[in-house]
Amino acid sequence: MIGYVSTIVLLLLLAPILLSFIKAVKMWLLYKRPVSLLQGFRDFGKLLRKETVVSEEASAMTRIAPFLVLSPLLVALFYLPPIAKGAYYVSFVDAFTLTGLLALSTFFLMLLGLDSASSFGGMGSSREAFISALVEPAMILTIFSVSMMAGDLGIGQAGVNLAEHFPREHTASFLFAAISFFILLIAENGRIPVDNPETHLELTMVHEAMILDITGVYLALIETAASVKFVIFASLFASLFLPFGMEEAWLPAAMIFVGKLFAVALAVALIEVNTAKLRLFKVPNLLGIAIVFAFLSLITYYVLGA
Amino acid sequence: MMLFFLLLPPLLMFVASFSRSPWARKLLPVSSFAVLIPVALLFRLPKPYELWGRYLVADDLNTYILLLSSIVGIGVTLALLTLDRHVKISTKALYRFYRFFGLFWVGLSLSILANHMGIYWIGLEMATLSTVYMIKTNRSAAAHKEAWNYMIVGAIAISLILFGIILIYAASKPILGEQAMLFDALLIKAREIPSPFLFEMGFAIAALGMFVKMGFFPMNLWLAHIERASFYPVAALFSGILESGVMAGFFRFSRIAERVNYDHLFFFVFAYTLLTIFIVSFLIFRAKDFMRLFSLSGIEHMALIALFWVSGGSFAALLHFGAHAFLKPALFLSTGVLESTGRYHFAGALRGYAGLRGKLFWFLVGLFMLAIVSIPPSPMFFSELYGFAAMIDDAKSSHHLLAMLGAIALLLALLSVIFYRFVAIYQSMKYEGEAEPKKVYSSEVLALTIFAVGLVALLLPSSTAFLKGIG
Amino acid sequence: MVDFLIGLFLATLITALFTSRLYRLLFWYSLNSLTLGLLALVIGARLDDRAMLMTGGVTIALKALAIPYVLKVLSRRFGLSRQTPPGIKTQYAIMLVPAILVFTFYLAEPISHMVQGNANYVAISISSLFLSLLLMIEHRNVAPKIVGFLSMENALFLLGTTATRGMPMLVELGIFFDLLMAIVVINLLLYREEAEL
Repeated sequence: MIGYVSTIVLLLLLAPILLSFIKAVKMWLLYKRPVSLLQGFRDFGKLLRKETVVSEEASAMTRIAPFLVLSPLLVALFYLPPIAKGAYYVSFVDAFTLTGLLALSTFFLMLLGLDSASSFGGMGSSREAFISALVEPAMILTIFSVSMMAGDLGIGQAGVNLAEHFPREHTASFLFAAISFFILLIAENGRIPVDNPETHLELTMVHEAMILDITGVYLALIETAASVKFVIFASLFASLFLPFGMEEAWLPAAMIFVGKLFAVALAVALIEVNTAKLRLFKVPNLLGIAIVFAFLSLITYYVLGA
Repeated sequence: MMLFFLLLPPLLMFVASFSRSPWARKLLPVSSFAVLIPVALLFRLPKPYELWGRYLVADDLNTYILLLSSIVGIGVTLALLTLDRHVKISTKALYRFYRFFGLFWVGLSLSILANHMGIYWIGLEMATLSTVYMIKTNRSAAAHKEAWNYMIVGAIAISLILFGIILIYAASKPILGEQAMLFDALLIKAREIPSPFLFEMGFAIAALGMFVKMGFFPMNLWLAHIERASFYPVAALFSGILESGVMAGFFRFSRIAERVNYDHLFFFVFAYTLLTIFIVSFLIFRAKDFMRLFSLSGIEHMALIALFWVSGGSFAALLHFGAHAFLKPALFLSTGVLESTGRYHFAGALRGYAGLRGKLFWFLVGLFMLAIVSIPPSPMFFSELYGFAAMIDDAKSSHHLLAMLGAIALLLALLSVIFYRFVAIYQSMKYEGEAEPKKVYSSEVLALTIFAVGLVALLLPSSTAFLKGIG
Repeated sequence: MVDFLIGLFLATLITALFTSRLYRLLFWYSLNSLTLGLLALVIGARLDDRAMLMTGGVTIALKALAIPYVLKVLSRRFGLSRQTPPGIKTQYAIMLVPAILVFTFYLAEPISHMVQGNANYVAISISSLFLSLLLMIEHRNVAPKIVGFLSMENALFLLGTTATRGMPMLVELGIFFDLLMAIVVINLLLYREEAEL
């Protein structure tokens, strides 16, 4: 139980660091002086100290929504697969619940964007809805196919099963599912080929447009939510698609796990540096590729058993 | 050693193409004639004669095909001497043409002689790739497009053949090991192949590749357009040598497939060729220029040959094959002269020849035109008789006699459409239009004469006896 | 390991299908050939087949490094268009590709029972054959068509390696030779194209 709680604390602490890490890697590759890894905490502290301004047009939703954006994600943190063998985990929560929690958070984020009645917020929300609608089917297919391979629909149980007996004969379909999930990770977290988290250009922004009117504590909550979401996806990727290193004692296993999270972040950073952002109407193509791979994974598993 | 002499003329051509002296070109026909010596020697040697281990083995069948293709090669080299007088071609391009012709010839000689599926394929691929460039020597936009077309579709066809070969190899490797690539080993062990379905699948795919390459059903006009866009010797090489090479492979593969499951093979080829002839006969009816006309008729004849071969009429198939290998290149080579007044003029194409050379030319071309639609003294007439007889004999042993008779009736109807069209074109060539003067060169007449002599030689009793012995 | 590589092979091919830039396409082709070469090396090491090890090495040197490089140089020299948008829209391709995959997987099923060794390889190589055909069909430009032709060669090579446990050495060398000749011919075709313009 201690392991369980400390894992969640660890993930929460890691969340801002991972995003700062991505930023730092990008800056380093662009010959800029990289930001500190603790920049996320500094921003959080700064936002807490700032005054919170709420638009006159806004309803009560603006005051409630930031909490509702963050809380489903915090709940989801409890359902993640364990990082070490023998640690406590919640085995009864299946992938659909997890997807639902993520969608719930996105739903409130979209409401928040609409609520301030600025044109940017509405635009951002509509774009977010557009992308999430396309992410959903691929997500379900991918998770489903992984669960088939792991032999359990429960996400925690699947992670354990994969680590214990890795389905060697299904490596090919496993690989396809991993590719699909990685694309989804990028799309859901608004990383570069889909959305650029750093600009405020009217033409390109999705996530930023929704939170343009949010300030102070609320903004701090939303930013935390974004980093927690990334850490959820990264740790899902780490425990489902890189299932090794769990046999160790808790501490080395945790070290390996953190290493895997940083590896995922590094991969995201490298992709961000090397690709240009897609035009919004090209995003469905990318997600289409994710759907193709998810489907491919499923049929390879079923028809070929590979 | 024998192999060296067989490949020497094409290799010589390849080397000579790098030299710029005009003598080199004049000497090439002579060196091409030299290829007849080793071929003639091959006829005398005991068969099967191993040219290179068990990889290249000469037996009666491929010696015969090699003879045909060598004669076509000689004819084309002769006609190439005057290519630059009929069409616009730069000297550099002409030499390049010779270079790739040499490679093409080498590739197909290997293909024809191969006893090894892999070598067969390699030779064919080499020939295909070199043809691409020969098409491209014509510096027109159409030729450029068709060269790419040929590259792409040819590559697909060739890949299908390789695909089939791999499947066949996979099917028979368990019992034969590395020898599963050898045609003769496969033929002996054909009945013991552990997974006949895999073999048949491989055969069907390889056959599909060969059929595409010869312009059968889905690709009928593809070949015609390519031959239209390129210079006329390319078309002659296609019909005389390339199709011989492809057909040689088909003969061998189908011999093996016959032992695996005769009914499947027969039905597959029968349906495919019938469909091809059905479509081609109507396309011929609408053809408006010599190149497409001859090209489509070539597809028709190839389909007939394949049909006769699988029906058990190997004599008919080989006779038809020989006649076609002489007639079609001769006609294609003569299009250089026939079309000197324009591409789409049938009328008057056989008029306006002066002098002995001219007279001989129109006489021979007229003869060939009529021989290609099997007017009696032509070998094609006899081969079709024998072929239909073989089909009926084949059907007698099964209970599909009535269906076979119906199919033959349909075939005869389709052939009569083609016959009608050719005779009409012949009449238009001879009796309509103005007599515009046309120039004929002696090298062309010589080439046509060689083909005519070959055609007559096919009907000699000794050669028919030889062909009957191949079966 | 083999399963992983074969999955990677198919994945790179599918990604190549959706690529609309020439250099990226060449990059995916090169990765595709690299997995193929590694596959031959792994299988060769397992079967202790020296011929297959050699072909694996040649594949990596020739197809993963030399040919993409040469094609890149050629495309630069002759100013080929680097934008190669697929003729089939992505949204249709998304439906078409899985359809092809399902079709070929079921097509290959009876065959794969008869091949010794792992049956999946046959199915995957047949489906990659079809996908390379699609790659050739869906592009108007010349360069992607060439890449399609080359990936078709790769698919056949995969079939040869996995279904028959290696073709005879002679054949594989011949295939490499023909590949080189194809490159020469392509060079000449492109050269003439430039001379005309």
